[in-house]
Amino acid sequence: MRRFLPILLVQTAIILLLYPLALLFGLPLARRDMQDLRKWEKETIVAAPVNNAEATNELSFARTPQNGILIKDGQVLNWEYQQNGDTVSLTQAPATPLVSWSQRLEPAGQPNIYSFGKSIAKLDYNRAVYVGNKLMLEGATPAKERSDGERRNFSFGKATGPVLVANRVLSEGRDYQLDGRGVVLSQAPAFGSSVRRLNADYAVLDANAGTIIFAELPRGEVRAAASALRFAELLSGPTDGQNRLFAFEHTNLVQSDNNRQVFVDNNALSDKAERPQERVDGQRQVFTFEGSKGIVTVDDKALSAEQDYRRDGPSVTFIRVPARNAKLRQYPDFFVADPAQGKILLAQAPTPGSSVWSSRYTVYSQPSCGSTALECFYALPQQPVPFPHWIVARILPFFQKFPLGDERNVIRATLYTTFGTLAALALGGAIGIVLAVLFVLLRPLERALLPWVIASQTVPIIALVPVLLLVLGNFGITIQTSLLPTAIIGAYIAFFPVVVGTVKGLRSVDPLALDLMKSYAATPLQVFIKLRFPAAAPFFFTSLKLGTAAALVGALVAETESNNRRGLGFQILGQVQSGNVADVWILLIISGLLGIGLVALIGSLERLSAPWGRR
Amino acid sequence: MTVQAQAQTPKQAAATKPVIETKDLTMIYRGRGTETIALQNANLSIRAGEFISLIGPSGCGKTTLLRLIANLIEPSSGEISVAGKTPQQARLDREYGYVFQSPVLYDWRSVVANVMLPLEIMGYSKSKRQERAVKLLKMVGLEHFHKQFPYQLSGGMQQRVSIARALAFDPKLLLMDEPFGALDEITRESMNLELLRIWQETGKTIVFVTHSIPEAVFLSSRIVVMTPRPGKIERLIAVDLSYPRGTETRESARFFELATQVREALRQGHSYDTET
Repeated sequence: MRRFLPILLVQTAIILLLYPLALLFGLPLARRDMQDLRKWEKETIVAAPVNNAEATNELSFARTPQNGILIKDGQVLNWEYQQNGDTVSLTQAPATPLVSWSQRLEPAGQPNIYSFGKSIAKLDYNRAVYVGNKLMLEGATPAKERSDGERRNFSFGKATGPVLVANRVLSEGRDYQLDGRGVVLSQAPAFGSSVRRLNADYAVLDANAGTIIFAELPRGEVRAAASALRFAELLSGPTDGQNRLFAFEHTNLVQSDNNRQVFVDNNALSDKAERPQERVDGQRQVFTFEGSKGIVTVDDKALSAEQDYRRDGPSVTFIRVPARNAKLRQYPDFFVADPAQGKILLAQAPTPGSSVWSSRYTVYSQPSCGSTALECFYALPQQPVPFPHWIVARILPFFQKFPLGDERNVIRATLYTTFGTLAALALGGAIGIVLAVLFVLLRPLERALLPWVIASQTVPIIALVPVLLLVLGNFGITIQTSLLPTAIIGAYIAFFPVVVGTVKGLRSVDPLALDLMKSYAATPLQVFIKLRFPAAAPFFFTSLKLGTAAALVGALVAETESNNRRGLGFQILGQVQSGNVADVWILLIISGLLGIGLVALIGSLERLSAPWGRR
Repeated sequence: MTVQAQAQTPKQAAATKPVIETKDLTMIYRGRGTETIALQNANLSIRAGEFISLIGPSGCGKTTLLRLIANLIEPSSGEISVAGKTPQQARLDREYGYVFQSPVLYDWRSVVANVMLPLEIMGYSKSKRQERAVKLLKMVGLEHFHKQFPYQLSGGMQQRVSIARALAFDPKLLLMDEPFGALDEITRESMNLELLRIWQETGKTIVFVTHSIPEAVFLSSRIVVMTPRPGKIERLIAVDLSYPRGTETRESARFFELATQVREALRQGHSYDTET
């Protein structure tokens, strides 16, 4: 125990070191993901319908903006009210009903499912469904994982409602089991099918059939509103007849936003952008737009009339010639001046006392990977350096990915590479010994051949492999069918240390020991067998150990050749190409262990056959 | 058969035929633009059964002389005969056993396998090899160390294995190049006794190179004093101490007289140095 404890400690330390290393390499990627708005979740901020259809004075809404305005049917209501936090108090009882009903929803077979009786839109921001007088909120979280036809584990963040696969409701116990944060389905959903879980009162189950599913059995009449009283967001900014800059409550506006609806009083503003009719060629100064009013922008920067351009109807003369291919636009009504700050610039300053409001707009709400760098690190599709326990967790699935009968099975691949390396060692060792003996026997031969031997090692193996495989392929010998190519390529790099080491060993003989043999009138063969070989054996084994690492690399490189599906080399290449970093790590560890194992094997061979070298 | 019966006196040795004979033996090492005369005009005749010590300071050519006899090197000029043959023929006929300064044991062989090495090379049968090795290891007092490996033995034991190996194929001639040079004084003296015993038991002719005057006097029947630059034979001193020799021999007056003679002979060689 005392012997192994320090070794164990060092190994543990090395493994633990991978954790900070994983963060060191992974966190910058995670931060990059966090800062990239394209990777953020989008949220559409909607003027929410009134919660209670029959309320009288005290109104509440599913969402209450800090400054709101009451609307119905897209029109501002001139009701007097006071907003106090989330509550809106009317000073007078409402003159018209808060909600005008469109239809009743009928139960559709299963208890929680109701039907509109006709197809509906999957996503409809104007939809308002009430049970009795109570507003129902719509929402379902898609699974974080994609259904690939094999996966059965899915997670949904905080959603806890019924699990929906495609247009089907699953029942707990029979169709799925809860498992920590997620669920395990008893049957893997088909490739690409949507897996959702309710996170609010209801969700659209099948838009074509017009069915919705409730999280709980509705108690009361289920009705859809034709229109409902809503509390829309007032944009902040003084309406003094001068100011044109207004701000949304939420920042990080999505620039091209189909959902955006901005009004001044009852007039809807268009966020259409007009392009000039002429090409921006870097020389033209005068451009013609469709309309004769609006904000003119160059490369998303608003210009100021008179100062930057002069207008004559639809034709705009720029004082500074716009650069070639500059983005010229004219926004008739408004322009998103500062998306990050949620600010828009109106073409015309609203008259004093008017209201600038929005019933719907979309923002980037938060990074989809999470709210902290660590969460985003966990959410990275591939960590450059995975946490060791992730690698460990991948081991079993990775080994089970292919059955033992398949040549792509990892155990088969490891065995294949092992045999390839051993064959390479045998071949390289034999060539090495023969060359070494020849060199020692015939000095001129050494002088003639040694430069070639050295030069052979400077040829990059990666360049040699295709040539060699081509030659062997002509004889019908491929990696797929024979160990020979692997053995030859491995031997090609393994023989070199063996030659060098064995020559050194054969020459390491004590001169007195040679004199001794001479005094016995021993034949040269006897000198080799009884003296030089045993004396060189420890050198041979040491160099063979060096050759082992080389042979393994050679075998791995050979196996990365295309058309081959055998061996660890193929596995590594395949996992690198498909980006399975954890699997690559497993393969690296296997290769490393294989190297250690093979060196240990040579070591025990040495202990058996040449123990004197170790004294 | 007693030890005394086997012991040979210098007189007896002188009566027999020479085993080694050199005539004007010269060895010159040629380097790049330099010439080193390692041995100049050495004339020496060694008879069967003699225990000859070659003594002298470093560079006096004593090892060169031994290697010439063993045919490990070829002389520049002069003649040499070993057992009545050319040295090469003598080597091919395995006429001598050679013991080096270091034991030169093969790490990958056990003690007994090391002793059997020459026998394997010379094609002895397995049973014969076994028999010889057991006998010789017993002679050098290592009968309990057959299975050990060289690294498990002390320096003195290793050198004894090397002596057993040199004697394994029963050569008539034993050439020893400072075999005890690396040993401590105590081990060395016991090894000296051991060697004398073996010599007396086997009746071999021994040519023994040493730095040590007491060792030379104690062991030898004749001492060849050599001096350096150029390496040559200065004097031959007959050692008339009677065999068997023991601890008391080292304390005898004659021992000191002979040692003094050797020392003076060595000093003469050195005075040559100081004059030039």
